[in-house]
Amino acid sequence: MTNILQTFRKNRTLFITLAILALLFLMAIQGMSTRDWVVTVLRGLAIGSITFLVAAGLSIILGLMDVLNLAHGTLYMIGAYIGWSMYVRPDSMVDLATPFGLVLAGLALMPLWKPLLARVDPRPGIARIWPWIALLLGLGMTALGLTNAPLAIWSGSDYQNSPIVWTQFAEAGVVAENVQPATFAPGQSPVLIWGAILLGSALIGLAVVGMIQSRRGVMSAARSSTTRPLLTFAVLAGLALLIFVVNTPLTNWLFSLSTNVLFVIAIAVAALVGVGLGSLMEVTLIRPLYARAIYQIMLTFGLAFIGAELVRAIWGRTGFTMPKPALFANTGDGCPADSIAGWLQNSCSTIVLEIGGQRALIRTYNEIFVIAVGLVVLILVWLLLQRSRLGMIIRAGVQDSAMVEALGINVRRVFTLVFGLGVGLAALGGVIAAPAYGLSDAMGATLLLGSLIALAIGGLTSYPGAAAGAIIVGLVQQFIIKYGQLGINLPFLDEPWKPTPPIVPASTIILMIIILLVLPQGLFGRKE
Amino acid sequence: MTNILEVRSIQTYIGQFHILEGVDAQVPAGGIVALLGRNGAGKTTTLKSILGLTPPRSGQVIFDGVEIQGLRPFEIAALGIGFVPEHRAIFRDLSVYENLKIAQRKKGDLERKSAFIFELFPDLQRLIKLPGTHLSGGQQQMLAVARALVPDNRLLLIDEPSEGLAPVIIEAMMEAIRRLSATTTVVLVEQNFIVASQLAQRYVIIEEGRSVQSGAMADLVQDKATIQRYLGAA
Repeated sequence: MTNILQTFRKNRTLFITLAILALLFLMAIQGMSTRDWVVTVLRGLAIGSITFLVAAGLSIILGLMDVLNLAHGTLYMIGAYIGWSMYVRPDSMVDLATPFGLVLAGLALMPLWKPLLARVDPRPGIARIWPWIALLLGLGMTALGLTNAPLAIWSGSDYQNSPIVWTQFAEAGVVAENVQPATFAPGQSPVLIWGAILLGSALIGLAVVGMIQSRRGVMSAARSSTTRPLLTFAVLAGLALLIFVVNTPLTNWLFSLSTNVLFVIAIAVAALVGVGLGSLMEVTLIRPLYARAIYQIMLTFGLAFIGAELVRAIWGRTGFTMPKPALFANTGDGCPADSIAGWLQNSCSTIVLEIGGQRALIRTYNEIFVIAVGLVVLILVWLLLQRSRLGMIIRAGVQDSAMVEALGINVRRVFTLVFGLGVGLAALGGVIAAPAYGLSDAMGATLLLGSLIALAIGGLTSYPGAAAGAIIVGLVQQFIIKYGQLGINLPFLDEPWKPTPPIVPASTIILMIIILLVLPQGLFGRKE
Repeated sequence: MTNILEVRSIQTYIGQFHILEGVDAQVPAGGIVALLGRNGAGKTTTLKSILGLTPPRSGQVIFDGVEIQGLRPFEIAALGIGFVPEHRAIFRDLSVYENLKIAQRKKGDLERKSAFIFELFPDLQRLIKLPGTHLSGGQQQMLAVARALVPDNRLLLIDEPSEGLAPVIIEAMMEAIRRLSATTTVVLVEQNFIVASQLAQRYVIIEEGRSVQSGAMADLVQDKATIQRYLGAA
């Protein structure tokens, strides 16, 4: 009993703030019917759960590595676009797998060059110049190979071949009929193209190792093994060539799958691409700048713009939608369902429930699936943090990563892994969000803002804080939107005041300001 | 007598600041060596340079016959060097059990060592489930030492174990360090000369980033002039 009182006294401001938030919520639901507020809460939770998927990674990365990754929203967006591509045009992704697999295979040979270059010791002048020549040559060969590789793909600029049209084909289920498989141009052989990519990327790797060694001097090569890079190379190159050989049957198989299965594959592919992109970004761009936080923020800010431009170049400037998987798409027989069982039986897109004497329309994807995914990820990441050795290392590293390293743990590798996982979560959020809210080149920036506010409210590096902050952001947004329709009866006004759409983002910022004024370290943040 | 650790004229910079301008130290296997000197002399930086947390720019660090300078801290630690940082730097968000568990290098380290650890620090067994924040200063210091005992370390670097502790606790801590030094060599940084002189068999004095004198502790205790000159009042 005294214990409870003590905790209460210690966190008095927190409890009062939570009480005021609860009061605000109660006031907000007074102004609308039961049906309206239940639906609004569900929508808020859905937005909150997407925001959480981005905020969780952002918060763990910030806590562990002190990196505020402003590119996180863009990576969320890239996740969505990759997911769309895998879902709507699996044939293009299969085409792309071979050349990109070969690039990775060529780069995987990098550890081999270290001991090799340590043995030859050219004159300083040559040592400085040859990597640049190798780099140019490598980039040229790789680019030549990549541009000549057979690829059947949509176009961002040609409407007839644009993602918008392909989405319509996907909704009608006629993608496979409209795809024209790509082949090699006459006079070109696969051996030549694939060889150019492989050799070119190997040269790039060689050049990079050469540059590092000419700058820092030859590193000790005693501990590097030769079997592992060779094995990685063999597996990657073998896989890439295997996909090339079975390209047509693999594509046909993907087209024959139900949209439910294809959607799961799309989620997995987007999340894995996110993990890969994140790890690559940490190793190549973030790692050299750990001592310079300002440069790091500028770097991630710049990457956010580059990523957004890339998305515009590949998928076009116009936004489009992603068809919902079959389980959430049926609007015909037996729909809308009147219960969860009815939905699962008929794969309905909506459920109609009687709430407070009114008919409430609940979308099965937006208001049930999205929330469920958020909840599952919330629990899984929590288990990872609390129960696994990696989680223990993360929690310890948030406080003192140098001490963790002093215990004999390779903290750099943990950083790469966590950065990758954080970006993977954001990419996962992107695919989950795409069928519900559509794809656009602004989706990343919007969500980054929301999740930054969620972090500030929750306490920057606190995991429960990120979750609570994300839910609060989602709820506030949706309630303001709903009140934009209903209007709020304010004293001294003749007509109810209707918040306009621009107030939606502003409202969360105002809430953030108020919370930070009362609790400078956020709801669950630690006092510095 | 073989040296388990040898530090040969290391120079260390932190940012632009030249902190160590030539530190030499010989640490014979077995027993305790104390690094002595005034505040800011470079004792803590010497420990961190040995471990690679602030890597030396020149000079050698030889552990068990192998040069280790330039290796990354986790590689150096994995060779069998444990570190007890100053200010009782335990992991506050982890429980006592997790603080010990995270130090494992091989599966089963903690199970094998727990009897020894709890014999040295019986308090910790009682507190095993509590989060680090709930421990008193003395208990945190005990946990920090215990954490370094979990893996098979052949050398312990202990920074200011008596700092800010009550006299009774200092007594217990000294007793624990004396007992663990029977199996593990210890390099001890200690402001409190009385504590250092009672624990260590050998000493190295560091003054403005240089090692200026070293030898047997028994001789130093007699040498009031040196103590006065380098360590202030004895």
